[in-house]
Amino acid sequence: MNRRTFLKALLSGCALASLPAAGWALDRQHRVTIARLQLPGGNDNPRPGALRRFLQEVDKRTSIEVDTEIPSVAPRRSELFEYPFVFMNGDGAFDPLDDDAIADLRTYLLSGGFMFVDSAEGLTNGPFLESVQREMDRIFPDRSLKTIPRDHTLHETFYLIDRPVGRVDVAGNFEAIEDGDRLAVVVNANDLLGALSRDTLGNWEYDVSPGGDRQREMAFRLAINIMMYALTVNYKADQVHIPFILRRRRWRVDD
Amino acid sequence: MFSFGDYNTSDLLWLGEFSPRWIALLIVLGIGVLAFSYYDLRDLKRVRRWVLIALRGLVFSLAVFLLLEPALDMRQTSKVENHVAVVVDTSQTMALKTEDDRTRFERGVEALEEFGPLEQASEGEHFFDYFTYGDELDTTTRESIAAMDPMAESADLTGALHEVEQHYADKDLAGVVVITDGIDTGAIGQRTARGEEDKLDEQSRRFLESLDAPVHTLAADGDTSMRDLAISRVLHDDFAFVHNKMTVDVEIQAVGMDTKTVPVRLRRDGEELQTQNVQIHPEESTYEVTFEFVPEEIGKEVYTVDVPEYENEALYENNEHHFVLRVIRDRIRVLQVVGRPSWDQRFMRRLLKQNPNVELISFFILRTDENPQLVPQDEMSLIPFPTDELFQDELGSFDLVLFQNFNFGPYNMRRYLDNISHFVRDGGGFAMLGGDLSFASGGYAQTPIESLLPVELPTSTARSDVMDSEHFNPEVTEAGHRHPITQLAFDPEDNEQRWADLPPLRGSNIVEGATDDATVLAEHPHQTHGGEPMPVITVAERDEGRVMAVTSDSTWRWGFEHVGEGGTPRDYQSFWNSAIRWLIQDPELKLVRVDTNRDMIPPDSPLDATVRVYEPDYSPATDAEGTLTIDKSPLHDIGDGTDEAAGHYETTSFSTDHNGEWEYDGRFTEPGIYQLHVEVPSDAGTLTDENLVLVAPDVSQYRDIEPRNELLAQISEVTGGYHTVLPEFSPGQLHFNEPRHVEVHRRDVVQLWDSLVLFVLILALLGVEWTLRRRWGRL
Repeated sequence: MNRRTFLKALLSGCALASLPAAGWALDRQHRVTIARLQLPGGNDNPRPGALRRFLQEVDKRTSIEVDTEIPSVAPRRSELFEYPFVFMNGDGAFDPLDDDAIADLRTYLLSGGFMFVDSAEGLTNGPFLESVQREMDRIFPDRSLKTIPRDHTLHETFYLIDRPVGRVDVAGNFEAIEDGDRLAVVVNANDLLGALSRDTLGNWEYDVSPGGDRQREMAFRLAINIMMYALTVNYKADQVHIPFILRRRRWRVDD
Repeated sequence: MFSFGDYNTSDLLWLGEFSPRWIALLIVLGIGVLAFSYYDLRDLKRVRRWVLIALRGLVFSLAVFLLLEPALDMRQTSKVENHVAVVVDTSQTMALKTEDDRTRFERGVEALEEFGPLEQASEGEHFFDYFTYGDELDTTTRESIAAMDPMAESADLTGALHEVEQHYADKDLAGVVVITDGIDTGAIGQRTARGEEDKLDEQSRRFLESLDAPVHTLAADGDTSMRDLAISRVLHDDFAFVHNKMTVDVEIQAVGMDTKTVPVRLRRDGEELQTQNVQIHPEESTYEVTFEFVPEEIGKEVYTVDVPEYENEALYENNEHHFVLRVIRDRIRVLQVVGRPSWDQRFMRRLLKQNPNVELISFFILRTDENPQLVPQDEMSLIPFPTDELFQDELGSFDLVLFQNFNFGPYNMRRYLDNISHFVRDGGGFAMLGGDLSFASGGYAQTPIESLLPVELPTSTARSDVMDSEHFNPEVTEAGHRHPITQLAFDPEDNEQRWADLPPLRGSNIVEGATDDATVLAEHPHQTHGGEPMPVITVAERDEGRVMAVTSDSTWRWGFEHVGEGGTPRDYQSFWNSAIRWLIQDPELKLVRVDTNRDMIPPDSPLDATVRVYEPDYSPATDAEGTLTIDKSPLHDIGDGTDEAAGHYETTSFSTDHNGEWEYDGRFTEPGIYQLHVEVPSDAGTLTDENLVLVAPDVSQYRDIEPRNELLAQISEVTGGYHTVLPEFSPGQLHFNEPRHVEVHRRDVVQLWDSLVLFVLILALLGVEWTLRRRWGRL
């Protein structure tokens, strides 16, 4: 590259960077993103960049158009209702949410909002999940977390998944809170984002346990399914899909 | 002194106001005195001792008697006549002939003639009141009944007995005489099944016993003289769902019929639908047949169940039964086709899934050829997009097709676009929702879909020419404030405020205005085309079908984000639910409607029909001109050589009033099926609506004509009455309750205690006791 070429490239770059916001908005207004939920007194972003990786993978593998800008939202209705999908991530205990936040989260989740809780602790009963349990009991005093069976639609929204693994495989099932025929809150103890994290050089940030490329690939598939579930809910439970899914599951078992 | 001869009844009274406790105390005191005397006089001889005790007891008793102030209530009285209710059935079945060629009613009238002497013989004891009943109880006279024709359309004997009970609630009922054939369309008749000796149920028994008077039943006809085959009952729902199985249960009564096979036929709008054979045996009278069929079209249909007419039947009117069935849409079948998962699709699916009237078939494109397939197909849940099935084989089964941010190009679908166009023009609904794969971005310009859409598409596909990113609140047009889709509130100001309160939409597809025949319900506040605001929500009629365009993919924010702002999802739900109803042409939302006040009327009865015409924005169409055409079809087989053929009956031109309405007052003298067809020319083509009314004689009374003498015998038995079958009738067998009330003409109360004789008697007894006691050596 000579100096003239470099200057042209620099000018072009500056011109692109100065494109009006409307240009971005045009592309982004129909795109789907996930908001990260802010947690008081705790680390709500233990896997920086992993959500972006998550969305990039969704963009690559599915027809969903994503916006990889990850907004961080307070548990307030004024912010929550911009984003129908919020992600709660943590690696330790956090302080109790105030009463207004509890009421707003309840309204949000019962109005169609979806929350995925991912523990980076790699434990089924770590301080983070204990805090989550405490807050869920406050948000939904009338219902409790239930174990999600392996044949739930969540495991077949895009890929056929037998076991929801992440960086670790300490919990064989998701737990969830239901709202009618859909899951409003899904809790994962297997550190899904940990399996997706890469460092700035593109290397995997954490080893998966018990290990293997297959486990990491299955974690990516699980991430895709979660995004699909947030958007299509029980679409794959429609009658038209059932024979196909049953046939493929049977084929795989027989094989 | 008084003479007992003036009085015919008397009672003993006690005027002294002593309570039972005081009387008991006096008795105890007397016993105590006598016991003491018995002890005190123990040294006297036995006879003397008892004489003195007897004297003392007598004196004490007389004293107590005086203390109680006895009196004699003497009355001269006479009885008050109580009432005999004579109740005569004047229903239609009473006009049927009996074996002696007289009608049942004539037999009843003949029996009534015996009541003249009976009345005279009962004078002073019973008064005879005469009533007739059919639908209700009417007061009449014996002479008037003889001149009547039995025409009532029901025979509510139970209701009549209830009314008799109320009529005499404050009077003395001596008894009831019922002259009827025993057919009771009321509760007792319904509750008591034929056969099994017409055993009365407990509730009926309790009611009859509560009358506390004998019910004498004079049956107008014997059980064995008649021959008849009747459709006695047809059980069916008032409405049925199209394409869903419908069941009709038919009950047939056969009386006096020989063994034979009888074909029972079900016809729809005059054409035979099904026939079932029933084997008739003389020993059985009731038979049941069940028809199952599937209504194929929405609307009203006239069904007829009939059996053949055999020689010497008592009547033929009950050999067929007509009814009107309203066939309605089962569930709205909606096909939702989505180009890629999005929040707009997610909330729309949720809305449709939550609507119990919607059967939703969704197809989402989850992966395109641009997405690399990194895993084997068998590890994915994806299925091929079944374009053939959806847009060729099954398209006609849907009521509404939604293209939600869907581009047809990658799926080799161009060949199906004509099908979709035909589907809509044949009466289907179609809506296109916005997004970067919709409208011009979806490549629909210059395709059959563009000719369907109510908006013009730009021919350019450059992104800036087809998409606008501005956030905006759509402005509801004047038409929009009246249209059911965008009318969130009836009051235009409230409606405007409701729309203003909704969260803004995030961007829009760019369109080049509405088509000429479209109605713009909401428009962009800033974007224009050709000087006109750009439409955002637009609807139009396309031949028989309807279409809608919403040029945004963010209406979901009205249902979700609005909650975050303190609102409710109600407006979002109302908007889309109304849109669906309008698109599928819910009858409530048609632009012209003809409604009748009744589905079935007897001949020569008035029919009120109302024609309502609306403008495309649902404001009343004042002075709208149109025609009402009435065609008449015969009730019986078409072309059987005996009945008239279908034909034109009447055509009337009309003009609507300021409410957009026109009233038709008709009266049809001949039985038949009258089809009402309304046509109103409009800019969008001729608006039409249809309705029908069935004109048929009301022969419900003839459904069950076999006399129910066993039921009448049971009624008499329960109440202690007399039962006979006319013409056998012995008036002397009728007995009634004695009058319970008397009238007092003269009364006198004689105080028995206020008598000198009694006082002297007491003194004399005391003197005797004193004398004897002294002589027998006692002080």
